[in-house]
Amino acid sequence: MNFLSVLISGLGAGATYAIIAIGYTMVYGIAKMLNFAHGDIIMVGGYAMFVTLALVGHPVAAVAAAILAAVLVCVLMGVSVERFAYKPLRGASPLAVLITAIGVSYLLQSLAQIIFGSASKMLSGLQIAGHVMLGTLRINYVTLVTLAVTVVLMVALTLFIKYSKTGRAMVAVSEDRDAALLMGINTNAIIAITFAIGSALAAIAAYLMLAKGASLANTLGAMPGIKAFTAAVIGGIGSLPGAVLGGILLGVVESLSYSIPALAPFTDAVEFGILIVILLVKPAGLLGKARREKV
Amino acid sequence: MNAVLEFFKKPFLRKYTNYIVVALFTVIFAILSLTGGLKMGTQFLLEQIGIAVLLAVSLGMVVGFLGELSLGHAGFMCVGAYVGGKLSSLLVGAMGGNEDSIVALLLALLVGGLVAAVFGIIIGLPALRLRGDYLAIVTLAFGEIVRSVFMNMPERLFGGTTGLETPRFDRKYLFVFAFLLVLACLAVTQNLMRSKHGRAIVSIKDNEIAARATGIDVTKYKLFVFTISSFFAGIAGVLYSYSNVRLQSVNFDYNYSTEILVMVVLGGMGSINGSMIAAALITFLNVKLQTMLTGNLAVLQKLFYAIILILIVIYKNAPGLKGFREKYNLKALFDKLFKKKPVAEDMADGKEGDDAE
Amino acid sequence: MKRILALVLAVLMIAGCCAALSSCSKTTKTIKIGLSGPLTGGAAVYGQAVKNAAQMAVDEINAAGGLNGIPLELKALDDVHDSSKIATNYAELMDWGMQVSLGCVTSAPCLEFLKYAKDDSVFFLTPSASNDGVPNGENSYQMCFADGNQGKVAADYVNSLYTAGNLGKLGIFYKSDDNYSKGIYDQFVANLNSAIDEKVMSFTDANATDFTTQIGALAECDFIFMPIYYEPAAQFMIQGKDTIRDTAVYYGCDGFDGLEGQLGDDMDEIDQAISMLSHFNSKATEGKAKEFIDKYTAKHGTDTLNQFGAAAYDCIYALHKAMTELIAEGKEIDHKTDAADLCEMLKGKFNGGFTYSGATGSNMKWEGGFVNKGAIAYEIKARAAA
Repeated sequence: MNFLSVLISGLGAGATYAIIAIGYTMVYGIAKMLNFAHGDIIMVGGYAMFVTLALVGHPVAAVAAAILAAVLVCVLMGVSVERFAYKPLRGASPLAVLITAIGVSYLLQSLAQIIFGSASKMLSGLQIAGHVMLGTLRINYVTLVTLAVTVVLMVALTLFIKYSKTGRAMVAVSEDRDAALLMGINTNAIIAITFAIGSALAAIAAYLMLAKGASLANTLGAMPGIKAFTAAVIGGIGSLPGAVLGGILLGVVESLSYSIPALAPFTDAVEFGILIVILLVKPAGLLGKARREKV
Repeated sequence: MNAVLEFFKKPFLRKYTNYIVVALFTVIFAILSLTGGLKMGTQFLLEQIGIAVLLAVSLGMVVGFLGELSLGHAGFMCVGAYVGGKLSSLLVGAMGGNEDSIVALLLALLVGGLVAAVFGIIIGLPALRLRGDYLAIVTLAFGEIVRSVFMNMPERLFGGTTGLETPRFDRKYLFVFAFLLVLACLAVTQNLMRSKHGRAIVSIKDNEIAARATGIDVTKYKLFVFTISSFFAGIAGVLYSYSNVRLQSVNFDYNYSTEILVMVVLGGMGSINGSMIAAALITFLNVKLQTMLTGNLAVLQKLFYAIILILIVIYKNAPGLKGFREKYNLKALFDKLFKKKPVAEDMADGKEGDDAE
Repeated sequence: MKRILALVLAVLMIAGCCAALSSCSKTTKTIKIGLSGPLTGGAAVYGQAVKNAAQMAVDEINAAGGLNGIPLELKALDDVHDSSKIATNYAELMDWGMQVSLGCVTSAPCLEFLKYAKDDSVFFLTPSASNDGVPNGENSYQMCFADGNQGKVAADYVNSLYTAGNLGKLGIFYKSDDNYSKGIYDQFVANLNSAIDEKVMSFTDANATDFTTQIGALAECDFIFMPIYYEPAAQFMIQGKDTIRDTAVYYGCDGFDGLEGQLGDDMDEIDQAISMLSHFNSKATEGKAKEFIDKYTAKHGTDTLNQFGAAAYDCIYALHKAMTELIAEGKEIDHKTDAADLCEMLKGKFNGGFTYSGATGSNMKWEGGFVNKGAIAYEIKARAAA
């Protein structure tokens, strides 16, 4: 029974990683860049919710407004970061973009401390309390909500990519940007849309983290961002179901590791160790397509 | 003045300009330090610069020459620091507590470097299977694992969360050793890269399949570069352990690795001199920000750093700014300011030639 | 080459700007007090609290005439809780002319600071670096309780509950990669009655946002010992308010202080009881603690109000009191006094029965650098009526 409850909290943690990882994997697949600042967009979303909650009086309206505001602010932030920091570097070495992303990450974190101070904040207004009992097994509502949101988002995004015109353009851009351009696809617009989607997902991840009771600080997204990156790679970069699978796997491993006291201090090592083992067995990740390089 | 510059432009000497410059710096600062002409802060700064240069040059081999992205350089450094630091503290203990023992320092450097190199081989092996960003995440993971494992080793072994207490070498001399090691690292990397092996390595970066087709043993070379690179990272780690009283494994996180990567990229991929200069300047900048922005202004440090970083990367890399770059750069500025003195231009030219490898 | 020159120029420009900014605060005749702490990064809230409170004390003392007419001056450098930045900070402070110091805010950097300060005989009284290795009774003194001691006192308390049959099931929640938490935890376990069966859960910095697993494992406990700081503690309590038994008790050390400010109105939603063993309570309603709280809150709000700040405030006043007494005894202390000479005097003072009463305790004395003052058991929140 104990094992089951550990598994369920792992699912909850993993689902949050999964949402961030979906954003990571989409941006990577299409812009071909490691967006180190992705985690910090989550933090921006958190502060957007903090401000909204302070402004809106009615509790239920405030939550709705906060989510909406977070999504808007994150999308705006994601797109403008892309526009001003990454787009000028299109065509330059991918490493240059990586360094800029690191710079953006520092920038957002220090701006957050300058504006909101160093003390972390509890946003209890966003918290989802309560639980259901399945026999003796306790499942928190927030875990169910997180899982549901993740599944819905994954399905919706998969359908979007498969059937909408924009989605198919995204696939084309990720396969071959130059060929897509020749086909008349506005690659710049597609990349901007991808950043917008990724950032919106980051905002939702921010909501889910705060709904679980995480305290808000300027480092809120840093480590989850790295974990999500790890999850995306475990699942195979570029694959949406892979990102979800990777996220869930990482969450469950983390949870299991914490539940064993002797292993708990090594949890970081265990999580990253799993990644290495998986990549040794499947170099392109669990669901990633191994690409043969043609001469 | 002109005659001196002309002398340095001789092809034979130009090949060794960077050695001469580093050696000159070493001698000048060593003399200053011995005669008490250096402030404590400058000695610490020079130590940090030496360590940063070693890290940047060694990471530059993997990133700049081999073309593989590594985000775990601090991990190799961590291994070197802990192994070397433990060894030196044991040796110093056995030798009656003389923290400035050169024998202990040299032994620690050797062992720390070698153990780090072994880890380089261990990580280099998967590097043969993985490509690009997959390798990057594996190295990042390696760094985080090393950090976590050292922290959770028994306290009497590696100090646990309180950190491993290591000897603190006399600050008057430590940076001299660091600079000498920079020279050694320079000799190894530069000679390697100018040899036929170096050309083979660069050809792997340019086109692995073509390199393989021409009979280059890609596997061997990749492993070789990883090993050398982590050896010097380990050396830098031992120096770090000597420049700090206690090792905190938490400091060797991925942020440290990205910091080194920033130096390599800003210095220009595949340029040893670029890496060295960027490492020195970034370390200098960070220390200046740290010591000048105090009290309520401290929050501005990272902000300034981030803005400088973003602007420089965009300025020097953005394809759209090519025309802008050609019009507004420091060389043009120099020409404008010192129109009557063509010397400045000569100097810039002279170094430029050496920059490219 | 261009790029490198660009880099050079940028560095010089910034250095110039910084120099311009920092040169504004140049004064001549002051008693110079140095401090290094995490003003940015994950531990910034503690460093900011110390910096704010210490500056406040300095301003108050200066308004009242300083030290025998000479104003005090505080210089606080940022170390991001990274011990490798200490050498630079220490050198900068010495360059500036530091005469006496508050050391570092956090333990690991403070151990680094100790080495240099000991070599040069610089006296420091740290507000919050609580590691057992920090105080030495020669130049290094603590205002806060040492970790090992806290762990032992907490274990004694738990043992007494056990003997009285009031303990129930014991749970422990600590942070495995933090030496404050690990230090207290180790001492606690070492001193715990071996008949007690404890359930231990931990977390690390990399996973500090979601405690669901740990909460699930501790759900059945009646008494949960949490040697952690108030930010993660508040998060644990909020996340666990439904899952943890309503009748459970959360018990913490001085790191718990600040919980009430952090939890705010959410405190009412937590049914579990909360108590702590500390030298300061940010909800104190009387005495010097109350005075400090009112002044600090008026100036900096409640965001960074915690025991770190209170201890820093006390450090400045304690140093001021000690130096004033020394002057009264005929010693000469002014802006020209050498750090090593001042250290010798202060060492004699602190080892020779000097007492001080302030916001974090009264009649404090120092023994071997460790502070000796009464730990106060604060009940932040009583057990809800059943």
